[in-house]
Amino acid sequence: MGVSDPTVKTTPAVDETGEGSSRVLQTRGLTKHFGGLTATDEVDFALEEGELRCLIGPNGAGKSTFLNLLTGQLEASSGSIYYDGREITGTSPHERVDRGITMKFQVPSIYDEFTVAQNLRIPLQQVVDGDEYGSRTREILERFDLLSERETTASDLSHGQQQRLEIGMAMAMEPNLMLLDEPVAGLSVEETADIAELLEEIVADDGVALIVIEHDIDFVESIADRVTVLDQGSIFREGSIEEIRADPEVKRIYLGDDH
Amino acid sequence: MAGVGLLNFGFEFLEIFAFIVLATVGLAVIFGMMGIINLAHGEFILVGAYATTFAFAAGLPLPLAMLTGVVLTAVFGLVLERLIIRHLYGRLLDSMVVTWGISLVMIQLVRIAFGNAAPGIGIPFGELPVVDGPAYYLVLGVLAVGVLGGLYALFMWTDFGVRARATMQDAETARSMGIDTDRMYMSTFAIGSALAGFTGALYAPVMTITPQYGTGFLVEAFVAVVVGGSSVIVGTLLASGFLGSVNAVFTNVTESTFIGLVAMLLAAIVTIRLMPDGITGFLETVRQRWGENR
Amino acid sequence: MSHGTSDELQARVTGLLGGPNVMGNSPAFWAGLAVAVALLAALPVLFGYYAAEIGSVFLAYALLAMSLAFIWGYCGILSFGQVAFFGIGGYAFGIVAINVSTMGGLTLGLVTALVVSTLFAAMLGYFMFYGGVRDVYVTILTLVVALVLHTFMGQTAGGEWAVGDARLGGFNGMNGVPDLGIGVGLIGYEFGIAAHYYVTLGAVVATYLGLRVLLNSRFGYAIVATREDETRTEMFGYDTTFIKFAVFTIGGAIAGLSGVLFTTQNNYIDPSVFGITAAALPVVWASVGGRTSLLGTVGAALAIQFLDYRLAISGSEWALVVIGSLLVFVVLVIPEGIAPGLHDLVVSRRSRSTSAESPGSDGGANAEEVSD
Repeated sequence: MGVSDPTVKTTPAVDETGEGSSRVLQTRGLTKHFGGLTATDEVDFALEEGELRCLIGPNGAGKSTFLNLLTGQLEASSGSIYYDGREITGTSPHERVDRGITMKFQVPSIYDEFTVAQNLRIPLQQVVDGDEYGSRTREILERFDLLSERETTASDLSHGQQQRLEIGMAMAMEPNLMLLDEPVAGLSVEETADIAELLEEIVADDGVALIVIEHDIDFVESIADRVTVLDQGSIFREGSIEEIRADPEVKRIYLGDDH
Repeated sequence: MAGVGLLNFGFEFLEIFAFIVLATVGLAVIFGMMGIINLAHGEFILVGAYATTFAFAAGLPLPLAMLTGVVLTAVFGLVLERLIIRHLYGRLLDSMVVTWGISLVMIQLVRIAFGNAAPGIGIPFGELPVVDGPAYYLVLGVLAVGVLGGLYALFMWTDFGVRARATMQDAETARSMGIDTDRMYMSTFAIGSALAGFTGALYAPVMTITPQYGTGFLVEAFVAVVVGGSSVIVGTLLASGFLGSVNAVFTNVTESTFIGLVAMLLAAIVTIRLMPDGITGFLETVRQRWGENR
Repeated sequence: MSHGTSDELQARVTGLLGGPNVMGNSPAFWAGLAVAVALLAALPVLFGYYAAEIGSVFLAYALLAMSLAFIWGYCGILSFGQVAFFGIGGYAFGIVAINVSTMGGLTLGLVTALVVSTLFAAMLGYFMFYGGVRDVYVTILTLVVALVLHTFMGQTAGGEWAVGDARLGGFNGMNGVPDLGIGVGLIGYEFGIAAHYYVTLGAVVATYLGLRVLLNSRFGYAIVATREDETRTEMFGYDTTFIKFAVFTIGGAIAGLSGVLFTTQNNYIDPSVFGITAAALPVVWASVGGRTSLLGTVGAALAIQFLDYRLAISGSEWALVVIGSLLVFVVLVIPEGIAPGLHDLVVSRRSRSTSAESPGSDGGANAEEVSD
């Protein structure tokens, strides 16, 4: 369980030390079984600092499992995870958060009963002191266009506002790496464009690396530097969005899934 | 001599095993199928015991008196389900709190209505040869195994069982497939109640019946449900077998039923520490691990 | 939301005590609370020592009630076994105070009782939360612990079940437990009836204020966040396992203190404190009063126990029937309990009237918000 095996095949992408490397995240032979089912199969993945990577693939390709392995919500069956040059395989979710990994869930999982300000307090009080707290809250509310909703109960927000609040809460943690599971699912065209702009800003201004799971290929095209295609638990293709779009094999696995 | 000792030990095990199985099974069916912990479980057993005792005192032969106990408890459970319990599906903690309220009311109502004692029933079938104890305990052992077998058949092989399990796994999907889930819950609750009534009826001749009678079954029942895990019938069987043997061994060695009980509870605590999802949950994990290594 | 700058100290105190995690922080609320405490303080003067004796017991129950409201209402841990810590506190005090029959023994008894009940809660909590035991299993295990203690203490009638001079006494209970007191060696002060009453009242008020401060602190937000969504909260870097463990332990300590106050008032404790009926009472108080309201739970404990007492002295056997029915009724009709139910009613009434007077006063307030 989660113990790295030095005999695992080494791919050129792997950087053992991480010293002087610009890689923020790296996985080696990352595998997760559920009973007889293999959800992720020997995944070797690497992400540069400040990179925005989209993870696509048909349903059941293992995208969400992969993300949950990175956050520590799931424990890997085998393989290892390196973050910032150090192995984090087997550490608890809150330890990973302390090191700068944060996640935005697929379903908006803000605290429904709390107001917007109280929601923000939960991550903020982890990173700032009492005096700074008020100004940081205001800053985040302004940036994520929620200032007028400060005292609104979160369950009364619109879907788009909830998504923004959740990204705001993740950013309040001052992360280094943010994982987002379908951030624009169910949003309107305008809301989707808003989120795309926000994410690009987060990468450009804050230098946060992002991994985004997404089905909406237009959205992917609008934000991604590089795209990784997962299929049946393995990395199927990796490349720029143009390369992936042009790849007939990628089309085939998607069509095979949909029809 | 050693042979007699072994027989005595086996008899003791059977007695404890039967008690745990019968104490647990009604609670386990309702919990496993509906996710409701019925804290009035002991008082359902109490209803079965009182109905049996009074039917017997009124002149009914014992088997018929016991049947009366089972039927009355089932009807009683059904009425409670319609009046109160059905409003609490999906509210796990609330259902526990409410059934506890019901339990308080019932204990006190029984005390007010019948006082602190009820007429007794003699233990039928007399004493066993060789082994030290009444033959009735053998009957209880056989019935305990029979009840588990019957439930297994009911839930695995009958049409009702398939629908009940479908409801348990995913009520939404079951409804979309045309299963009347409301009725499934109602029937399952009635079956659980009838089983509690059966336990009360069976132990009416053995234990002195007081308003607190039902509480005497609770510790064993709760512990066995937790240790057994989510798979009701197999869980009850394994938990009862395991806890029963620990209890019997320690009772036998130390000749103190109290130490036997303490040893059993310690064993339960260690089990839960090692397997928070109970024995059946653990077995499921083992099965999955095995699947991984294929 | 701008704070009045005129009285900084007052703002800081209310800021410490108030916040969204507890109900009531208006001047009217604090005035009402002060009046209620003053009335309770006047009780021995108005009704005499007998009222103080009964009142002490009710207030000890109120403390026990708060211990459950804290862990269940704020952290979502439903314990059916708060009476276990209550009883352990009482027995531990008795054992020490009977053996060390000096004034210092009373202090030692109190400290020992608090340490033992807290440690017991910590052990049980560690075992459950770090062992992965969750939800209803926690509830059942805590009840089983109480019932096992009931069985265990019940069979301690024999002379061999004694700790020094303190005989456990089986179902007949432990007699001759001294009054509470403070002192060192032979010098000190043993609380009489009125003093004991005021000490208990003081403990209730101090615990209430202390829990308010805790719940509105950084840790308090973490507690409530854990109740709302454990996974999410863990993703913000909180160690939710530790939070649950700590909350459960604090709850055990409060319950242990209430057990000491109860036992020293009666000078007696027996295993019925671990029994299924006793174990149900905290759950009744918290459910009826409203588990997310510390004061509601306290009020429910005082009211229900007063009702129970009045029924008992009038010779009625119906108290438990009434209490049980009340529990069923409240959970079915007002699931969150009476105090939060009333609070919601008042808040929605008030917000409806303000929104009717000045629609859209909130600037960006939209139509959905007003209709809600």
